[in-house]
Amino acid sequence: MPSGPHLSAVDSELVARAGAGDERAMTDLYDRYGSVVYTVAYRVVGERADAEEVVVEAFAQAWRDAGRFEAARGSVAAWLTMIARSRALDLVRARGRRERLMASAAGAGPDASASAADPAANPAERTEQDERRRIVRQAMESLSPPQRQAIEMAYFEGLSQSEIAERLGEPLGTVKTRVRLGMQKLRESLRPYFFEPVI
Amino acid sequence: MSTPDDTELRDLAAAYVLGALAPEEARAFEAYLASSPEARREVAEYRETAALLALGGDERRPPPELRARVQAAVAATRERPLRVERRSPWRPIAWVGLAAAVLAAVGLGARTRSLGRELAARDSTIAELERRVDELGQGVFDRDAILAAVLSRDVRLVQLTASGNPDPAIQIFWDTARNTALVNAIRLKPPPTGRTYQLWWIRDGKPVPSVTFDVRPDGAGLVRGVSVPSDGVLSAAAVTEEPSGGSQQPTSPILLVGTLPKS
Repeated sequence: MPSGPHLSAVDSELVARAGAGDERAMTDLYDRYGSVVYTVAYRVVGERADAEEVVVEAFAQAWRDAGRFEAARGSVAAWLTMIARSRALDLVRARGRRERLMASAAGAGPDASASAADPAANPAERTEQDERRRIVRQAMESLSPPQRQAIEMAYFEGLSQSEIAERLGEPLGTVKTRVRLGMQKLRESLRPYFFEPVI
Repeated sequence: MSTPDDTELRDLAAAYVLGALAPEEARAFEAYLASSPEARREVAEYRETAALLALGGDERRPPPELRARVQAAVAATRERPLRVERRSPWRPIAWVGLAAAVLAAVGLGARTRSLGRELAARDSTIAELERRVDELGQGVFDRDAILAAVLSRDVRLVQLTASGNPDPAIQIFWDTARNTALVNAIRLKPPPTGRTYQLWWIRDGKPVPSVTFDVRPDGAGLVRGVSVPSDGVLSAAAVTEEPSGGSQQPTSPILLVGTLPKS
């Protein structure tokens, strides 16, 4: 279920309050997006303790940067996930654990954190998130495997198109086309489910 | 209509959002972005798309205690406004103590200690910044005082110099109407421990003790509101190094001296 304008307005209001120094607004933002931010962090770093560390750092950074948030540049959710992804990639790069990440991605099993109760999100928000997850999974599955692979390597591993081409032994032009067409397709399927509609 | 170049650039939008462009491509795209509202919209759409990507994998739910850790980190990252007034010495300690107690209460073990250390480090950074603001504030105040003293109509300037050494100097801005002076030291070596500088007025040929003063590590010092004897004949001012607290009679050779104009 896509977010209505009401939810978006609430998000922006929360960031504005955080920017003005209201710590409770950050807790509210965590309750709304902690799970999404954790998921991004986990996908990038590949394990629980680091993912938690990234979430803490990401919200601390969001708290510091809240005063500079520009609603015109995108939704609060996109902003938070962008911060989390950057922090997560920093962590992976800093520790040089790309190989370990690949190994754990290959054999990814269920994690204790996956079944942990999430008391933060309310049932309506959980249903909305569950619906989004289903739609996103569907959209990802609609991509050709090479498209999906190229996009995931870029987003979750922080690789450039040239690095992807090198790793896959494919021509750079081919990788560029996969990224572009894959993202176009995702954008079209996911547009009604954006955290906030782009005006 | 888009030119072929525009189309080429627009094709980079998705990879740009994914951070997958080569640095030179990213720079070219950003330049294009600045001039194209259409491209900005496209980037915004791809940002929303990218924000959803993580949801495509296995669901991961954060452990319940993460919420408290985020709250603690937010509390510890609070950027407090810099204040010019001096903080009382117990405040940083109490603040760190309080935050540590909150963290301990939510049972964070080793993380508590690491956050506590980080917090203490930040607090000391803030204290250092406040100290620097204090210094800057003091500097501005000093400059205002000098300006006020220099610009007054009744002020005369007396320069004290060290014989054979042009480096250290003392300027005395003598307000003859109020019989007060502002003493400004320049490039004076800080005195050894237990010693201080003392100013002397030479009245009727005899030294009259005046203020003692110290200088900052950079050799600068400023004393405002120094009384100038209003009786007798003042001929000069001098500075010696004396035991802390000052002396009634000079106990060491004159370091700097300057003659006073007749008032």
